[in-house]
Amino acid sequence: MAGIRLHVISPLVLVAVGKCARDPSVFVRKCAANALPKLHELRQEEITSAIEEIVGILLNDRSPGVVGAAAAAFASICPNNFTLIGRNYRNLCQILPDVEEWGQILLIEILLRYVVASHGLVKESIMSSLLCIESSHSEKDVFDVNVALEDNGIPSRTYDSELVNLVSRSYIEGLGEYLTRSSDTNARSSDLNGARFTSGKTNDDVKLLLQCTSPLLWSHNSAVVLAAAGVHWIMSPKEDVKRIVKPLLFILRSSGASKYVVLCNIQVFAKALPHLFVPHYEDFFVSSSDSYQSKALKLEILSSIVTESSISSVFKEFQDYIRDPDRRFAADTVAAIGLCARKLPKMANTCVEGLLALIRQELLTSDIESGNGEADVLIQSIISIKSIIKQDPSCHEKVIIQLFRSLDSIKVPEARVMIIWMVGEYSSVGVKIPRMLTTVLKYLAWCFKSEAVETKLQILNTTIKVLLCAKGGDMWTITRLFSYLLELAECDLNYDVRDRARFFKKLFSHNLCSQVPEETNALQENKDLPLVLVECIFRKQENLAASEPINDRFYLPGSLSQIVLHAAPGYEPLPKPCSSLCDDLGQFSNSIDRTTALGEEWTGSSSNGTDDPDTSGSLDEESGSNYDSQQSIPGLSDNSGTGDSASEGDRNCDPLIQISDAGIACSNENGASHSGFPDLEGMMSKRALESWLDEQPGSSSPSASEQIQVRQSSARISIGNIGRQVKAKSYTLLDPANGNGLKVYYSFSSEASTISPQLVCLETFFENCSSETMSEVTLVDEESHKALDLADLTLATTAR
Amino acid sequence: MLQCIFLLADNGAVILEKQLTGHRVDRSICDWFWDHVISQGDSFKSMPVIASPTHYIFQIVRAGITFLACTQVEMPPLMGIEFLCRVADILSDYLGELNEDLIKDNFVIVYELLDEMIDNGFPLTTEPNILREMIAPPNIVSKMLSVVTGNSSNVSDILPGATASCVPWRPTDVKYANNEVYVDLVEEMDAIINSTKQFSLLHARFRDGVLVKCEIYGEVQVNCLLSGLPDLTLSFANPSILHDVRFHPCVRFRPWESHQILSFVPPDGQFKLMSYRVKKLKSTPIYVKPQLTSDAGTCRISVMVGIRNDPGKTIDSIILQFQLPPCILSADLTSNHGTVNVLSNKICTWSIGRIPKDKAPSLSGTMVLETGLETLRVFPTFQVEFRIMGVALSGLQIDKLDLQNVPNRLYKGFRAVTRAGEYEVRS
Repeated sequence: MAGIRLHVISPLVLVAVGKCARDPSVFVRKCAANALPKLHELRQEEITSAIEEIVGILLNDRSPGVVGAAAAAFASICPNNFTLIGRNYRNLCQILPDVEEWGQILLIEILLRYVVASHGLVKESIMSSLLCIESSHSEKDVFDVNVALEDNGIPSRTYDSELVNLVSRSYIEGLGEYLTRSSDTNARSSDLNGARFTSGKTNDDVKLLLQCTSPLLWSHNSAVVLAAAGVHWIMSPKEDVKRIVKPLLFILRSSGASKYVVLCNIQVFAKALPHLFVPHYEDFFVSSSDSYQSKALKLEILSSIVTESSISSVFKEFQDYIRDPDRRFAADTVAAIGLCARKLPKMANTCVEGLLALIRQELLTSDIESGNGEADVLIQSIISIKSIIKQDPSCHEKVIIQLFRSLDSIKVPEARVMIIWMVGEYSSVGVKIPRMLTTVLKYLAWCFKSEAVETKLQILNTTIKVLLCAKGGDMWTITRLFSYLLELAECDLNYDVRDRARFFKKLFSHNLCSQVPEETNALQENKDLPLVLVECIFRKQENLAASEPINDRFYLPGSLSQIVLHAAPGYEPLPKPCSSLCDDLGQFSNSIDRTTALGEEWTGSSSNGTDDPDTSGSLDEESGSNYDSQQSIPGLSDNSGTGDSASEGDRNCDPLIQISDAGIACSNENGASHSGFPDLEGMMSKRALESWLDEQPGSSSPSASEQIQVRQSSARISIGNIGRQVKAKSYTLLDPANGNGLKVYYSFSSEASTISPQLVCLETFFENCSSETMSEVTLVDEESHKALDLADLTLATTAR
Repeated sequence: MLQCIFLLADNGAVILEKQLTGHRVDRSICDWFWDHVISQGDSFKSMPVIASPTHYIFQIVRAGITFLACTQVEMPPLMGIEFLCRVADILSDYLGELNEDLIKDNFVIVYELLDEMIDNGFPLTTEPNILREMIAPPNIVSKMLSVVTGNSSNVSDILPGATASCVPWRPTDVKYANNEVYVDLVEEMDAIINSTKQFSLLHARFRDGVLVKCEIYGEVQVNCLLSGLPDLTLSFANPSILHDVRFHPCVRFRPWESHQILSFVPPDGQFKLMSYRVKKLKSTPIYVKPQLTSDAGTCRISVMVGIRNDPGKTIDSIILQFQLPPCILSADLTSNHGTVNVLSNKICTWSIGRIPKDKAPSLSGTMVLETGLETLRVFPTFQVEFRIMGVALSGLQIDKLDLQNVPNRLYKGFRAVTRAGEYEVRS
């Protein structure tokens, strides 16, 4: 009867359900529980409390079947009403193993939320890393903590602890806090000051929950296993977390589809605590029946858990993967080898040898065009070698020389660009390389005409770099070569090359005019200029060496958001620890009301479009659809050199539109054919660009202190929808006709900024569609340390 | 919660649509999905979770039929996928096998099943035994009846007995004249074998493969035909070899934790009691020795198959399958035993059957490489299938099966079978 979705009869149905909820028959009570969510969906204010009351009665039931259905009702009706759970907590835990499997999934999550809300986090668990950061935050910087850890003799741990900290924090924080955190570091200490920690050993409730969920790790249903593993991950003491490992690995066997989901979750676990999975590396060996996405994930996991004891067998595996017919996968493998080598510097030599052999082998056969795959493998292997060399250029001198030698036979432009980049970058390394330089440059100049555009640009850059470092007799030759190259470039068909050439010519006009003998003097005179240049180039090098900050967000294990990597509507982080202590309760629900209200204003504008352009790749799709409030960001991915990302928020920290740096994070999303390597390769050529871009402000206006770091980033936009509570009201508003709220349009205009070429104009228009006035609309720059000039944004706020 | 379930045929047409909640999901989502499948190929088809502009889609593919489930809100993705797997399992169980025509012929039953399995987006009853009790599987008689009487429903009028009983997976009043219980050990062997291959092209050496990984994934399947409310205990002779286990909900956890004894009240009929994994096995029953040498645009292949460790029973239905690399233009393959088939998508199947006593089966032939390609650099992986009746290769042994309150006549049966799972040989 509840299935008849009529408002008129809902009070009648409610009475009937209430009666059935007290029925002696188990089946009837179960059906009553099933009817509740349907009733709730009618959104009738007056009966909500009555429904919640019935949920309470049903949760108190003795029969497992009823409890399962009641848990489903609870999750969809009042997921934050922890008093209902509190009353029956013990009973629920005890009954949990007997509840039917689908109910278990939801019940586990509910219980977890309840425990976090009422008792806080467990001191011994991974979440406690928050605590130590927290306490030290007041007097020290995060770095100090890391240093302290490093002194303890576990240097690899520093990265982990930082990551673990990040992971655990993002479990608790909502979207809003995520934004504020990145813009303002103080927020991070304030929002968790109230966090209280409890000990798993003394707290009975926590112990009970862990006890009751541990048999579920053996469940038949992989969703239950994953949910139970999530609880243990968050709540159990660090030394006990390992018990989730075997069950997780076992459910890998169940089906292809769930394998992917489980791997996604294991990936996060393995990154945070690699030692858990270290003994089980064999389970991540790729089998040919895996889908490409699973293969890629397995590779990533393997490279993050590899240790010195397992590396040899892992490498043997990798060698087999390289011969896989799927060349995309082979290229990924090569990238993974590079990662491993960076992780374990001892293996670097072996890796480089192997990769060089691979390159030679590729060269043997790549004279015919056998598709893109081969080229990808080649490029990827050079990227890997490059990243290994970067760690310690001096001891890989021979490798560099070998690569120079192979320039003649490598035809793929991207690969050539990278080798040429290395010519410039490592021109002063070792003894032999400086002697080779003139020959290499002569060769480059000789084949300049036949090169691709990007290669031409890179040759110009490299020549400058070499010129700057050159000494003595070579100087004259190189200068001659350079001016020859400039002449060639100025007549090039491509305007980019022409522009670059003219720019360099202007820049070096002094150097070129003055002839060899006076060269040194000329250098003295223009000391500031080359010095700045040299400085720029070398500074760049240091910047690159610094590891990319982790810009990833993590979601609760087993959640949909973790898979699609953006907050799905209805995704909620764990409740604030101890938020449901009795006196707080009123306030808590108040804040929910507030967010609900906010959400209402928003749903009008962000109605159905709430999901996601999750990667920059899918942006076009979004702009193509016909919601009037859609945003379009034409060519954002092309502009990826810009580090500025504007985010819009309001005072309550509940921004609904978020653009964040995804960095390298999205490589495994969507599994589109553009996986990791094109990204990296893009970065490569960009790097080259950067190195000269950076010269510009330095030389043209040396006084400008503003050095903007340009970082490779792709934007990820997620439009949040605040929780299930929002849905309560959203239906009437879904109609676009009377949608009210704040509309935001924004676009990247093509015109160049007047202030600096690094900045991109972002036009943002706000429109208030609601009847009420809106105030305090602020634009918050997410990454303020990047010195984004907010003044450049034209802000037009109309409060109507 | 799930909002809608679609079943798509292999040409993208919607076979079946089942709306679960009040808000309809438009069919256009399937068009969107299929457009992407066409444009992005197989990599999209193997994505289990997809974020479309309006919905999140979970998908699994079984026997050419794509099962899609849509949702708009956060939910555990495995729940969606697992549910779809159950739907697929139960449909193939009911219909015998899965294909488009069968589903279309039995629309009524499929809808009835879905009705029982999921309500308002939340999975309800997925236990096959109980479903069978509620909805009779299709058979000729019921079809005849429905034609004659015009009554097309085969939902039973009475509530399934299990709903009232205290054990949710077992009806209360089961009566059998003969009490029988059968336990089957069904094992699948997963193995990865590397045949070490030298890079020197002229004399590729002929060596035994290196076992990279070998493990057994096994299931204990029980067919229980017992009256009343039996309480069974099953114990293994060597439970220590089990690496991981997973249980049917009916298994009590405590006895397993303390004594490694399975104690359970079984559902009625066929069910999967537990699944387990045995790792780090040392040997495989058969060997496959591929040898590929390539020179001057042609590639010679020879594969030998034979018994390495005789398990004591015959190994039958041996099938070797491999995908020829894309750079191969044509292949001419012959074998001295069994039949060889090369399909148009370059999948080569060599079905051997049993290994004869007098000779070792071998496959040989030449393949022509793409013009310009001198040597072969990508190598196929051979997937091997076999079946051994009567042996559980993991060595797991059932010690005894006890029954509390033993009925008069009780027959206990035991069987074992080992199959190849993901058994592959890299060349």
